[in-house]
Amino acid sequence: MSGTSAALAATREADASTASAVKSLQAEGRHAEARDRFAELVGRHQRRATRIAYHYVRDAAEADEAVQDAFVKAYSHLATFREELPFDVWFTRILINGCLDRIKARKRRERWQVPLASTGWGGTDGTAERDITERLPSSGQSPEDAVLTRERRRQIAEALAKLPDRQRAVFVLSQVEGCTSREVSALTGLNESTVRVHLFRAIRKLRTLLAPGTAAAARDQKGKRRVTS
Amino acid sequence: MSLLERLGAGHLDDRSFARLWVDGAEHPHLSSCAACRRRYDAYADWIDDIGSDARAHADRTFPAERLAVQQAQILRRLETLDRPTRVIPFPRASRVVIGHQSPMRRWMVAAAAGLIAGVGLAQVVDRSFFERQDAAQLSHFTASDANQRASAIHPASLKDGDEEFLDVTEALGPRVKELRALDDLTPHMRDVDTRK
Repeated sequence: MSGTSAALAATREADASTASAVKSLQAEGRHAEARDRFAELVGRHQRRATRIAYHYVRDAAEADEAVQDAFVKAYSHLATFREELPFDVWFTRILINGCLDRIKARKRRERWQVPLASTGWGGTDGTAERDITERLPSSGQSPEDAVLTRERRRQIAEALAKLPDRQRAVFVLSQVEGCTSREVSALTGLNESTVRVHLFRAIRKLRTLLAPGTAAAARDQKGKRRVTS
Repeated sequence: MSLLERLGAGHLDDRSFARLWVDGAEHPHLSSCAACRRRYDAYADWIDDIGSDARAHADRTFPAERLAVQQAQILRRLETLDRPTRVIPFPRASRVVIGHQSPMRRWMVAAAAGLIAGVGLAQVVDRSFFERQDAAQLSHFTASDANQRASAIHPASLKDGDEEFLDVTEALGPRVKELRALDDLTPHMRDVDTRK
């Protein structure tokens, strides 16, 4: 844990120096160099940002766009960034706000659209998004293990998708991205005790959704629904 | 171990485990009860597994190649952000015609256009005027006129062809004195008849 903290501190220090360098380069009008330095920040935070966006918006293409938008926005508003705040917190906040805007816009759109049978990751019918990487042969796993792993991931994705937005966000940030309650509070703007309540409720709900009997029952019910329809 | 047994022995349930895990606190019961410790550890592992599985799912969806493409797109967008906006000029020809023409030249063009339009208009107006006059004359031609003209036409003669022709020749003879000599020199149909 102390190793992780030290790594995090080192990353934050590097972020702070890169961000201030980009800021000064932008101010001097050396845009090409500023972009090159900013690419370092992109490389450091891209994967984490993509994971967060993906769990927020639950659609790979939309997550891709959300991450791009967040980096572009961060670059163009870097002058407003204060060095005393960690860059990752500032940037993640931009990203989350963008994702929330997208979710809102999507809900508005869906109000006027007929729902599709399968709408990607954790869709309305519970089908997980099948990307090309899932069809590639995995290394070192037997086919049975691969199927079981895939099935488990699908169930987790479905269960996460069923969580309310706030609970999901808090769970993803704290459990998937390893943020502390204080960091989640800083990222989401929620009170620290509220973060803990959301996390507690999310875990309880996931426990119910992912209990072995519940998953099997849900599958049976889905099968029955298909037969009757 | 059933729920009743656990309650009786003061064991911890899932709800307590969740609370302990979220708060990061250590319950005194866990240090004394090996069964609850085992269950709590399993519970904590289960939560950790969910996190790592969710992370793996996202990482599989976004492999390194896809992230590289994403980074390239981000940098391209940043480049367009830094580039100053370009003003696209209007085509040169249209600017010349509209902007750089002297007033004199414009007047000349307008006068020529006016002249051409006037000549064309005059022709059209003239023709239509005459057409209107013809139409007016035709309208005076009434039914009574038509009847008068019809009565003036006499029926055709029933004489045979030669006689009729001779009469016509006679009728067409020269009425002018000066031409009579010339007429005498010219052979006539009546002379042919005489020879016969």
